Amino acid sequence: MNAMLERSLSAFDTTAPLAADGLIKQYDHRSVLRDVSLAIEPGAVLGLIGRNGAGKSTLIRAMLGLIEPDAGHATVWGVPALRLTDAIKQRLGYVPQQPEAMAWLQVGEMLDFIGRFYPRWDAPYVDATLERWQLPRNRLLAKLSPGERQRVAILRALAPRPELLVLDEPASALDPVGRRELLREIASRAGESGTTVLFSTHIVSDLERVASHVAFLHEGQLLLHSELDSLKERNLRLHVPESVAAQLREDVPGEVSRRPHPYGGLSITVLRGEDTPWPDLLQVPGVRAEALPLEDLFIEVSA
Amino acid sequence: MDASLLSIQPNAAEPLYRQITGQIRRLVAGGVLRPGETLPSVRDVAGLHAINPMTVSKAYSQLEAEGVLLRLRGKGMVVADLAAPPDLATRWALIDPALDALARQARELELPADALLDRLKTRLTEDPQ
Repeated sequence: MNAMLERSLSAFDTTAPLAADGLIKQYDHRSVLRDVSLAIEPGAVLGLIGRNGAGKSTLIRAMLGLIEPDAGHATVWGVPALRLTDAIKQRLGYVPQQPEAMAWLQVGEMLDFIGRFYPRWDAPYVDATLERWQLPRNRLLAKLSPGERQRVAILRALAPRPELLVLDEPASALDPVGRRELLREIASRAGESGTTVLFSTHIVSDLERVASHVAFLHEGQLLLHSELDSLKERNLRLHVPESVAAQLREDVPGEVSRRPHPYGGLSITVLRGEDTPWPDLLQVPGVRAEALPLEDLFIEVSA
Repeated sequence: MDASLLSIQPNAAEPLYRQITGQIRRLVAGGVLRPGETLPSVRDVAGLHAINPMTVSKAYSQLEAEGVLLRLRGKGMVVADLAAPPDLATRWALIDPALDALARQARELELPADALLDRLKTRLTEDPQ
């Protein structure tokens, strides 16, 4: 009953499940987050990409209130992240990059223990998944391989049927089959139950399968946040021959990067706005254009 | 139709929903998917390819709006009747280059137009091999 009531209440929740405003964080005088603002709309699957050390984990931890930022603030369904209530935490599933050990417990004991804190804990799902993944309930957590430990952490986050699922590099210790299975689970949760998902990764093809939105984090700065389809349709890399390049006086509208092309002239990447036409340069004879795969676009934007 | 007929390339520059719409349009135009044939459910396509069901829905809805697919109650998406033949102008535009080439060769070989048309007519009424 409680669970049902909670669910129907949350259906009317129009505030962003997860939002950050002006987050700044420094460690040892090194800026890890530089004024990051980001809001995730209900039902979105946001893939956060960035190189190692870009600040992805710090951003996630700050958005969930697990660390205190030096400035700015984060909210979960409108509630300050640093003061989350139990009711909010029950609607939230989190898979940290380094799952906490609890090494002295068996797999089954740990899951049963955690399950008591969640009214919507799906015990049959836990049993079915343990069997599918061939994880014996009586195995000590200390004896698990890194991949198995990650699977248990994922199961622990999914079992409460969270409305918001946050996964920090969930695929890092999984093999390709395990990764595919996880993506399928994330996609179906989002598509069928309307779960909002935030996941960080450096494997771009994983993100491209399931994400509805994508955010680029680079050296603590949010360079881009867009719907994924739209981002793919709004970018072009232009190969500008020398003769045309020589007459370019200013930046091209929407220009995000410019470098010499290996065979002469310039290579210019543009990202137009949602309602902005392509730059006139595209019509100039000799200029060739190609849409970039996400991975290449990320490299251009963070160059 | 089986969901595995679709080939999904997440790394491509083309958005996934456009990969799906493009492939279904071609399968329909090429007659592989016939009018009335049922498409795999959103869930099946998304599950098989480990992609977001919303992406598949978006592709199906767009094809429905274009008239390529029809949403039938209790049956899901089927190929629409009108989807198969492209309009006449499009079909003429596809064959015109071949006609131009034929006319040019006939002139080069100095073959009479009447005889050429007769031979073409014969071929059109014969069963294709």
